[in-house]
Amino acid sequence: MEKQFDTIIIGGGHAGIEAATVASKMGASTLLITLSKAAIGRPSCNPSVGGTAKGHLVKEIDALGGAMGVLADNGGIQFKILNSSKGPAVRSPRSQIDKDLYPIVANNFLNNIPNLTIIEAKVWEIVIDNYKVEGVKLFDGTFIAGKSVILTAGTFLNGLMWIGLDSTSGGRFGEQVSDNLSDRLRDYGFKVGRLKTGTPPRLHKDTIDYSKFALHPGDPNPVPFSFRTKSVENKIMCYATNTNEEIHDILREGFSRSALFIGLIEGVGPRYCPSIEDKVDRFRDKNSHKIVLEPEGLNTNSVYLNGFSTSLPKDIQERGIRRIPGLENVEILRFGYAIEYDYFDPYQLKQTLETKLVENLYFAGQINGTSGYEEAAAQGLVAGINAVLKLQNKEPLLLKRNEAYISVLIDDLVNKEFDEPYRLFTSAAEYRLLLRHDNAYYRLSKYGRELGLITDDEFAIFEHQMELIDKGKILFDKTLLKPDQINDYLESINESPIIDSATISTLGKRSNVNIADLLNFLPSKEEFEDILNNEIVLNQLDIEIKYEGYIKRQLKEISYFLENENKLIPENFDYNKVQSLSTEARNKLIKIRPLSLGQASRILGVSATDISILSVYLR
Amino acid sequence: MESIVALATPPGVSGLAVIRISGDDAIEIASKHYLGKSDLLEVPTHTIHYGKFVNNNQTIDTVTFNIFRAPNSYTGENVVEISCHGGIIIYKEIIKAIINSGARQAKAGEFTQRAFLNGKMDLLQAEAVADLIHSVSVISEQVSARQLQGNITKKIKQFKSELIEIAGLLELELDFSDEEIEFIKLSQVKEKIQKLIDYLANIINSYTSSVILQNGYSVAIIGFPNSGKSTLFNKLLSKDRAIVSEIAGTTRDYLEEFIYLNNIPIKIIDTAGMRETTDIIEIEGIKLVNSVIKQSNLILVLNDASISLHNSDNLIQSLKQDYPKHEIVVLQNKIDKIEKEDKEEITSSRGEEQLFISAKTNYNISKLLDLIDQKATSSITRINDLMVNERQLQLMEQISSDLQNAIESVEMQNTNELIAVDIRAAIRKLGELTGDIYNQEILNQVFSKFCIGK
Repeated sequence: MEKQFDTIIIGGGHAGIEAATVASKMGASTLLITLSKAAIGRPSCNPSVGGTAKGHLVKEIDALGGAMGVLADNGGIQFKILNSSKGPAVRSPRSQIDKDLYPIVANNFLNNIPNLTIIEAKVWEIVIDNYKVEGVKLFDGTFIAGKSVILTAGTFLNGLMWIGLDSTSGGRFGEQVSDNLSDRLRDYGFKVGRLKTGTPPRLHKDTIDYSKFALHPGDPNPVPFSFRTKSVENKIMCYATNTNEEIHDILREGFSRSALFIGLIEGVGPRYCPSIEDKVDRFRDKNSHKIVLEPEGLNTNSVYLNGFSTSLPKDIQERGIRRIPGLENVEILRFGYAIEYDYFDPYQLKQTLETKLVENLYFAGQINGTSGYEEAAAQGLVAGINAVLKLQNKEPLLLKRNEAYISVLIDDLVNKEFDEPYRLFTSAAEYRLLLRHDNAYYRLSKYGRELGLITDDEFAIFEHQMELIDKGKILFDKTLLKPDQINDYLESINESPIIDSATISTLGKRSNVNIADLLNFLPSKEEFEDILNNEIVLNQLDIEIKYEGYIKRQLKEISYFLENENKLIPENFDYNKVQSLSTEARNKLIKIRPLSLGQASRILGVSATDISILSVYLR
Repeated sequence: MESIVALATPPGVSGLAVIRISGDDAIEIASKHYLGKSDLLEVPTHTIHYGKFVNNNQTIDTVTFNIFRAPNSYTGENVVEISCHGGIIIYKEIIKAIINSGARQAKAGEFTQRAFLNGKMDLLQAEAVADLIHSVSVISEQVSARQLQGNITKKIKQFKSELIEIAGLLELELDFSDEEIEFIKLSQVKEKIQKLIDYLANIINSYTSSVILQNGYSVAIIGFPNSGKSTLFNKLLSKDRAIVSEIAGTTRDYLEEFIYLNNIPIKIIDTAGMRETTDIIEIEGIKLVNSVIKQSNLILVLNDASISLHNSDNLIQSLKQDYPKHEIVVLQNKIDKIEKEDKEEITSSRGEEQLFISAKTNYNISKLLDLIDQKATSSITRINDLMVNERQLQLMEQISSDLQNAIESVEMQNTNELIAVDIRAAIRKLGELTGDIYNQEILNQVFSKFCIGK
């Protein structure tokens, strides 16, 4: 094996996979170091990818040329668009994945990438000289030189697993931890905190009475995540039910023996992915919580009890679960547990995810305090891209909050202090109506292409679609439909008839009207042929026309937002020179070093007055 | 910061003039020109020192030096205020001397800008200072002073936090759509937003009152030459402004003066540009005073009753057409010259309010003043704690329209993320109103309103 690489990635989880993919595809000689090849991409918690806001991330990763969309399609066994009854901006793709298949798919995917070497090893330390990365040293003493190092160690840094009051050291059930790594970085001056997350019990599929559950099927016409995937199919059924007060009472009995409740776990748990005991404790007026049985794969007996994440003692878990109708005789394959792990306070990172302290060292994924595979993957992608761009002496890829959920995530991470794992929500995006999963390619594929991660042929597909969309908008604005052409249709869908001729754009705004249906009533469809034949384009046009008013209002807000975003702060700006800043603001600004006045305004503790003062100095 | 100097009192001849110096070296600079018993460099803050202001061994004036040390001053910096005698030459000499010693002439609003930058006041308080400087009535001074203490900020912040709560609940429902929990009923959202809209409407309505309190209740006297406008103007002001007719048409085409009726400033405007004869020319004449009439709250049409009680009817008609919302009172002047029977005959036949006066003999002038007073008082519907200026009004109108959009969204049964678009826009603008959200434009606008020395 070579002993010298451009980029070394430590960790083969979802962040590591993306970093390795983009770095090697961008032309860097890349080394991925994992504790176990078989565990690459292993879903340690839920057997699913996507969901609210997370599905958006997967689409954006795909548009930038990352791996996750393809992996989730090939490792997926049930597909669904969540919130389909709601507006397009909050709809989100989600898939159940096969937890045994997914790592195989991931291995195959990575093995096909030239420039990428994968080894199984345990890293002893990252070698740093004069605040610059030199490479890594393995446990056996081997030194491997690397121009940049991306650390994506997930929960494996000083991981500690808890069931009830019992704890075991480990990064994932039955797997070893990387204990020296974070200690060495701590010595170097990095601030390390402690977080916790949990996972629900796994049940034996043959010991469940499914007749007592409601069916939870995939979509009738399942749609893949990635544009590279032709089609996907649903191979499993999921099952849903609700907890009840009797179960809650049993769980309460175990609170006194919960590591979390009595304070043995130092890490702070996620508010948004709460354990069942948290939900019972916090939402006291709610006497029922939804739970879903999700098979963990096609060839496994294991079923994931979604909604029942817990670290209560085993006897309590068992009694509680057996009160769920249909689970009276269930065999519990593995009890739920909480895992506590080290994370690095992400204010120590630049927007590129390079550490401010050590040049060419990048942190990505759960070690930055985030929760979720998709959040981890998005960071891996950003770290990988920027690590290589820097080695190539090119400008970094810095997306703005109005361009992608990926940038919302990273901007939130580096600016805000948080005391629980960060999970992305659509509410975190200011310009949600523009950051839809369905337009991710139109927003981002141009960047993917510039980076060489999207080929010209692939880009041509999106370019063609964008042209058709623009053409459609112009045509729809000027094409009129007469009352006698359209009124029968309008009445048939409970819309009021028209008196004067109206344009397709005007009619298309009505909530029950479908653009494709409208076009059928045109006497001559010739001009619209290419649009009518393109379902994706039709769907885009339908959304853009229906929500035009709202989209325009958001665009107005964006122009306001960009004003401050484009006011840049020099990298070495001396905040000490600005005496009138509040002490708290000055300290935060020195710590975070925002790139723009806009970013500075999002830092907690920096007030509008501080920003006004800064702007006077920057003039 | 660099020391700045300016005259803090209005320019012109007065009993006293105050010159303000602010900056790191303010006290050093002032002490170079002080001849007296104290050592200004050593004296404690908030002390007054009698002495001579000297420049190149020449005494310019006998003055007092008021010393304020940072951060306990208006600007938060070292400040010296020199009270001198109010002659124009005196204060000009003093300022020149101070500039020669290292300070520079302050820009408009720079003292207050420094106070703002040094955290002595927030943006709304700074804005209130600007309003205070420009206010012409006692009541408006009181309200501005209250705003200076953060009153308006408090009310609007309360408003904002209610809206944030609604937005939060709408978002929760989206974030936890898997859990299928309804956190807030849409009928409740609508009800709450409507309450906020009503609340805003109240503030917006008080705008008219604010303008009157800040700028005065404007009364425009319109009429043909020789109808007695200038005479009436002088009578209402209770002073002889014979020069009126001499300047008319030279620098500007109207003159204005303030009188006070029950603490309300009344701005009397004498329009001097009206011409007569044919109808078309009359209408042209109205266009000339267009801007005056637009700003005014009350139009007094002065008719020379000695010619005919209907002499100005065409003028009145076109005024009514062009300004349907303005109040018009017809004054039949020179009533001393016509027969009693004629007056009574006409009284009932006119649509608009009418008063028979004689500016020359003072007949019914006090009645006219009562009428103006009564109309001014009733136009100030409510004297709020709040006083709204142009910038705030514009923002509030935008917020109102955002909220109206949100209500429409709810009525159309749109889903939460669409309702949130407009609520979020409203919250952002509320932040600008309270100064919680930075906006360079506001900053510039607020400080450009100041005159030099404030």
